[in-house]
Amino acid sequence: MLPSRARHFFRLAIRRPALTEQDVDAEIAFHLEARAAQLIARGMSPDAAAAEAWRRFGDVEMARHTLTSSATRRETRMQLREILGNVGQDLRYAARGMRKNPGFTAAVVLTLALGTGANATMFGVVDRLLLQPPAHLRAPNEVNRVYLTANGDNFGMSIGTNQSYRRYQDLRTHVRTASYVAASYETELVFGTGEAAREESVGLVSASFWPMFGVQPALGRFFTDAEDQLPQGTAVAVIGYGYWQSHFGGARDVLGKPIRIGRSDYTIIGVTPPGFSGIALRSVAAFLPITAGGADIFTEIGVDDRWRESYRVGWLQTLVRRKPNVSVEVAAADFTNAYRLSLETQRPTEPPGRVPRADSLRARAELASVIQDRGPRRSQEATVAVWLVGVSLLVLLMACANVANLLVARAIRRRREIAVRLAVGVSRGRLLAQLLSESTLLAIVGGAVGVLVAQWGGGILRAVLLPDVDWTSTVLDLRVVAVTVFLAIVAGLLTGLAPMRQLSRADVVSDLRTGGRGVSLRGSRLRRGLLVLQGAISVVLLVGAGLFVRSFHNVRSLDLGFQPEHVLLAELSARGAPIDSARRIELMERLRERALTVPGVQHAAHTLTIPFSLEWNQYLVVPGIDTASLRDLFYINPVGPDYFETMGTPLVRGRGITDADRVGSQPVAILSQAAVKRIWPSEDPLGKCVKLQADGPCHVVVGIVGDIRVEFNEGPGRHVYVAATQVPAPDSRIFVRTRNEAATQAEVVRRALQEVVPGAAYVSTRPLDGIVAPEMRSWRLGATMFTIFGLLALVVAAIGLYSVVAYDVSQRTRELGVRVALGASAGAVLRLVVSEGVRVVALGLALGAIVALAFARKVGPMLYDVSAKDPLTYAGVVGVLLVVAVVASLAPAVRAARVDPNVALRAD
Amino acid sequence: MAPTADQLALVKGTLDVLVLKALSWGSMHGFEITTWLEDNSGGTLEVDDSALYHALHRMEERGLIAADWGVTENNRRARYYSVTSAGRSHLRTETTRWLRYSQMVSGILTAAARTT
Repeated sequence: MLPSRARHFFRLAIRRPALTEQDVDAEIAFHLEARAAQLIARGMSPDAAAAEAWRRFGDVEMARHTLTSSATRRETRMQLREILGNVGQDLRYAARGMRKNPGFTAAVVLTLALGTGANATMFGVVDRLLLQPPAHLRAPNEVNRVYLTANGDNFGMSIGTNQSYRRYQDLRTHVRTASYVAASYETELVFGTGEAAREESVGLVSASFWPMFGVQPALGRFFTDAEDQLPQGTAVAVIGYGYWQSHFGGARDVLGKPIRIGRSDYTIIGVTPPGFSGIALRSVAAFLPITAGGADIFTEIGVDDRWRESYRVGWLQTLVRRKPNVSVEVAAADFTNAYRLSLETQRPTEPPGRVPRADSLRARAELASVIQDRGPRRSQEATVAVWLVGVSLLVLLMACANVANLLVARAIRRRREIAVRLAVGVSRGRLLAQLLSESTLLAIVGGAVGVLVAQWGGGILRAVLLPDVDWTSTVLDLRVVAVTVFLAIVAGLLTGLAPMRQLSRADVVSDLRTGGRGVSLRGSRLRRGLLVLQGAISVVLLVGAGLFVRSFHNVRSLDLGFQPEHVLLAELSARGAPIDSARRIELMERLRERALTVPGVQHAAHTLTIPFSLEWNQYLVVPGIDTASLRDLFYINPVGPDYFETMGTPLVRGRGITDADRVGSQPVAILSQAAVKRIWPSEDPLGKCVKLQADGPCHVVVGIVGDIRVEFNEGPGRHVYVAATQVPAPDSRIFVRTRNEAATQAEVVRRALQEVVPGAAYVSTRPLDGIVAPEMRSWRLGATMFTIFGLLALVVAAIGLYSVVAYDVSQRTRELGVRVALGASAGAVLRLVVSEGVRVVALGLALGAIVALAFARKVGPMLYDVSAKDPLTYAGVVGVLLVVAVVASLAPAVRAARVDPNVALRAD
Repeated sequence: MAPTADQLALVKGTLDVLVLKALSWGSMHGFEITTWLEDNSGGTLEVDDSALYHALHRMEERGLIAADWGVTENNRRARYYSVTSAGRSHLRTETTRWLRYSQMVSGILTAAARTT
């Protein structure tokens, strides 16, 4: 008979489920019984004893109640402590495991870091372009941009984001469903004078802009309606917070100070709050009333005062804040009505017939999101960014697939250990929880590194993709971090699922016996499936890369007909200095002469138009040719001597413009080859003449030059060059050719030219490359990003393939040993292993190619001169991937071939 | 439950230390504790059972005692309480305090009346 104390300590090994209420009842019941037994032993009757026991106890019900609740509380606390203890144990175990396998850990962490980092970066970009409404905008859902559409032959307007001031006023008058209607325009003007003069970005806004926004000034006030009246408003300015800090040191006495913007002095009346930039993406230095700033902008270009009166000068973006509870549809209908009324008002102001009836124009207004890239005028960058988000998600998927593969391989390797643990009594639930915590920990570490990747990569991406945008928020925006963490957790769960599936079917006995070395077809299928997925994604990305790279190459190798890398564009901005047209011509000539004295400058010439930027096109009148048969637009450019040498356009026949071509001498013209082919396909053009107007002078053709391109999506332009001295032009500028790259010489040339202009005038120089290159930006971007992601995918897939093949080989050491013992050559073993690897990849390639072809139609419009189904690209990608597959399989294959049959056969 | 003339009511808070003392003799279940207290007080202490269980659960929450299910000599399932090391030190301090307190009170109360 054991001492009662010892027997009291019989503990049950099985963890009992919580039966707190029953426990309490049992304890009380036991007590009552024991008391009753004691009383019976003292001579009471059983019934009396029971009653007395109840009485002695006190308030049984209340005791039960209180004891149960306190017991439940304790139970919950214990369970929580146990769960936390388990989680802590799991994490510590996982961390130990990570430290013990640094290579494995590094591979997984790196893969996940790249995957999550890429996504976080792209999210940051897309967030800025598509998700974040303008800063400080109250209730963005109530605000819309107004787009007016009208289609008509002679009318000439299409999707209009640019409205005239008259149109804006009409809309404001007729609209009923708006709390506020405002207008906005972004441009650059020169701030300051003399040496310190710099171009800054400026916003011209209506006075209603401020109450529409619902923003408060950081200092001072905003301008009112009274200060925004025609003809020229009041010269007041609200400066941007950033500009206030950098140029005035944040001094509070800035109010009332004058600031020189464009050609006038403005008085500073307020400062915007930090981060505010109106509806622009880039930061704005100052906001001016439309009526005041309008004068500055239009005086330069020669539109003069017409902008106040004409419906034809379109430049503004109209914005509206709808009245509360007014839907977009109702407001759009209201605006359509207002637009039609405005068209009716417009008709009498123009020659009869120029403004058709509103119905035949299908005039309507469309109200779109205040975020520009979500409306009908989405920028190329936004489209590319959205595609890139899809791509980066694919890459993350691939990374997860790869990591899952690695984890499954490791789980399979540990089958013996797991079998032992299961046999000892660890529940499957615990085991699965532990695996999940392992993969989650890896994912979190990967995500943390991913944030660093996003930080670094984000900076680069922004510089490449959106150099003009104001990125005041750092890359480590809280939302980006949150997204990264979320992705990391998802990745952890996804990758943890794969080995879990393995274990949920683990056969303990057989695993213990075979030592975890049995060939498991189940695991193989899963891993092969993951590899096929990776192969397919790689194909899709690499095909995209190939197509974009070819597009970009086509674009770059396009012969533009001139060399933008060597040409600077120099422009003169009078800014109120009194320069009449005669003086202007003289000034431009002086600038040209001064430019020629700058070392490194080879040629300089006058020009009006700028390729890809500013064009003058019209129909020609050619004596002897029926105008009806010449219904094609020609590009006209009044130029000075040396123009073709400056541009690098070859002179094919005859001569260029010379000093001999002056006012009063025979008007001349030089045509480009495409123009000649269009007008006189089979005759000699020299000596013939063309007219710009039916009643104007006939310009004699004295030369033929090579074609130049002015648009990427058209063929070479049909150009007609005339002498600037003989064809009056409202404006002119200078091209300067430098020996070295133009961009490096821009400032030098600018300073030299600035010296010869009077007082307030300002010279700006820009490399022509900077005007042409942005047109190529989307192709360059596609090529760069797809290549990066494609290579990333390739590396990840290669690692995955290597690990699968290596594992297979290690599993089959015995079998391979037997083969070698039976006489198989090393070459045969090599072929066997490599062909296995290649077969798996081949399936992935086929799938990927099919998917890529399916997307061909969507991608097509973004390419240049290459079909989305280009067979060369596809063949190239497949070839590269097959080579990679062979190489990745080679290392383990070589190891397999070197297996010593004795060792293999004896190995356990 | 109102005490009878011969029985003393418990001064508030002393039930805990008495239970700890009982358990220092070994693990007991609730009824054993009651019996021990009644026996060792010479019958003058009648424990309010529900108060006892409240005290037991309270002390378990505070970590002074630990409880687990066990089996009695009669093969009945009962909940056994044992004192933890925290409980032991609590018992030591409380015992010292109580003895000092009772010494002080007895000293005052048994002092000879003032002789005028």
